[in-house]
Amino acid sequence: MNIDPFLIWLESTALSQWVVGSESMFAFPGILAIHAIGMGFAVGICLALDLRILGVAPDVQIAQMRKFIPVVWVAFWVNAISGVLLLIGYPTKALTNPVFYLKLLLIAAGLVLFRRIGRRVFDEAAGDARADSPVVQRLAIVSLVCWVGAITAGRFLAYTYHRLTALG
Amino acid sequence: MLHDIQVWLVNNIIAHSPVAGLMRTAWAWPIVESIHFLGLCLLIGCIGTFDLRLLGMAKRVPIAAMHRLIPWGILGFVINASSGVMFLLTEPDQYIYNPSFHFKFLFITIGGLNAATFYLSSYRQVFSANASLNPPRRAKVIAAVSLTAWVSVIICGRMLTFYRPAPCNGQQSTILLECAPPLERATR
Repeated sequence: MNIDPFLIWLESTALSQWVVGSESMFAFPGILAIHAIGMGFAVGICLALDLRILGVAPDVQIAQMRKFIPVVWVAFWVNAISGVLLLIGYPTKALTNPVFYLKLLLIAAGLVLFRRIGRRVFDEAAGDARADSPVVQRLAIVSLVCWVGAITAGRFLAYTYHRLTALG
Repeated sequence: MLHDIQVWLVNNIIAHSPVAGLMRTAWAWPIVESIHFLGLCLLIGCIGTFDLRLLGMAKRVPIAAMHRLIPWGILGFVINASSGVMFLLTEPDQYIYNPSFHFKFLFITIGGLNAATFYLSSYRQVFSANASLNPPRRAKVIAAVSLTAWVSVIICGRMLTFYRPAPCNGQQSTILLECAPPLERATR
């Protein structure tokens, strides 16, 4: 399937050209900065939850960590939106690079794991005991691996692309 | 004066850098960058959540219990200081003359001094056995400053690329050099 016509069209849109070409610090640089802040909160809180399950800060009642869930989701949506804007800016760069799909896959896996872990441990009465179960411990380790992988894949996007733009 | 120190630093780092060779091997730079981003997440995930707790989120968690996450946030900081130094020791002119790096350094200093202020001023009130679940106002101000400082560090870090120093071409910066004077080439 040749998606070049689509890529050429997308790169010709005003939004794409604003993201890439605008002199404004709110365009490409600002979107990148927001994407990094969102990552810090979304991934950071997921890591903190995994660490808690794996035995760090044992006095924190694990069900109470559900209070941070909204921060994870707000940060996730901030990154979904800023990520789409970056994608609209450089669609060819991302969509022709397998590493980009790997990054999306790892993020999806990380979020599914976050929800699965949450369903088990965000329970006032049983959460702390369930966190010690081998199943949840394993989920937490896989979650850590997914987030490390997603971050690494994201960073490698800047070094592994084959084509920057459709016409370039 | 400061300009001379900057030029001296850049030229000495280039002449004696212990890690530049390693960092220029294939994939070393992106791998260290990935580690730098992971450290960022640890720092925000552990120190940022502690700050949010001080500000009133997850109110039922005792502050001392939440504080047990802090060593992992400090580990994130140490990871980032070390990986950051590796970038600096490889491409010193890209940082030492970069205004975004100057601000990044400023915000790191603010974050560090702010954390020190927390332990010097609020430790007993927040951590004593009969401490309230609601921290004193001073601790909340410190938490807000902490969040602001670390988020600013991320912003400045991400801006580094867009403020890469251009050759000086005769113009003179004010406090800190923000353009790149010609490098002294080693004559060996």
